Amino acid sequence: MLALPMTLNTTAETETAKIARGLRERDTELLADLVERCQHRLVRYLVYLTGRREHAEDLAQETWIRVLQRGSQYNGRQRFDPWLFAIARNLAIDDIRKKLKAVQTASLPNDGDAMLLLPSSGPSPFEAAARSEDAMRLAGRLQILPPLYREALLLRFQEELSLAEIAQVVGAPVTTVTSRIYRGLAALRSAFEESDSHGV
Amino acid sequence: MECDKRLRELIDRSFVEEVSEGERHLIDHHIRDCDGCKRYVELTARTIRGLREFTFTSEAESSAQVFEILAHHTGTMRQHNVQFKIWAAFAGALSMSIVGSALVYQVAKFLAAPMHFDNAQVQAGVLVFWLLPSFCSAVCTLAAPGENRGIA
Repeated sequence: MLALPMTLNTTAETETAKIARGLRERDTELLADLVERCQHRLVRYLVYLTGRREHAEDLAQETWIRVLQRGSQYNGRQRFDPWLFAIARNLAIDDIRKKLKAVQTASLPNDGDAMLLLPSSGPSPFEAAARSEDAMRLAGRLQILPPLYREALLLRFQEELSLAEIAQVVGAPVTTVTSRIYRGLAALRSAFEESDSHGV
Repeated sequence: MECDKRLRELIDRSFVEEVSEGERHLIDHHIRDCDGCKRYVELTARTIRGLREFTFTSEAESSAQVFEILAHHTGTMRQHNVQFKIWAAFAGALSMSIVGSALVYQVAKFLAAPMHFDNAQVQAGVLVFWLLPSFCSAVCTLAAPGENRGIA
């Protein structure tokens, strides 16, 4: 009975060790495989984090370059995904900081960088990605939800990372992560509570 | 019905992390009689289901483009790596040439004393037969193609 989980565990270890070795050796085949498997999830994570679609692809590209440059730092003892998301997160935060700095020092109100921080016109990325009526109802709430809550919800319910892995990605204690998830859920749940009470 | 706050927290927890059999039973038992909490559970489940119904498709050529960039970077990094190895090999060979020549000079001086060779002759011998050839070998590591150095 115990044989199966042990086998699965060994397989998972072998997989991460293989990734770690491939990254150390800059194995292009492995990189291609990782990009194929993780690119859309990386873009989705960056959209949740930034609330914008425009720069998600660019940030994802930068993330992969960083993975290539710092591949030797991945030890293979943990899963690859949280490590990848942590890199993407740091890059996204750096990017936002740079843009905020540019906005603060910009003399013109319509500075290009400043525009990047303003909500984009047209449907939000969440509205564009909603595939059901319920998702459409949540889209509006997601757009105004604090990014930290959005990020925690995505990592838990879409990426299905454990609380410890999420804590590792966001660099916060597990209790903080849990609290963000509860608050995020409460904010989104109210979308249904309100619409149902209005008979929608 | 205003339910115990701890029970709502337990319901929340049951969606986010593992709860014990006993706690699961407590929730199931409670929502059988409590419409408010039953609705709360349904809405939370619906919210989580809704969250899974977003599909962010990456642009079709995005992965290919990323891979192209990575392939280019890998090539550049390998080239830098080879350059570094060449210079490291040259520095190693040069220092071995100098240190080796000093050692050979000392040994030659020691052996030349009984044969009554003077110092200038020993210096010239070491220079011509040791220092210059070893220095040339070190310089050759810079000029030789990568595959001949075994570091391509």
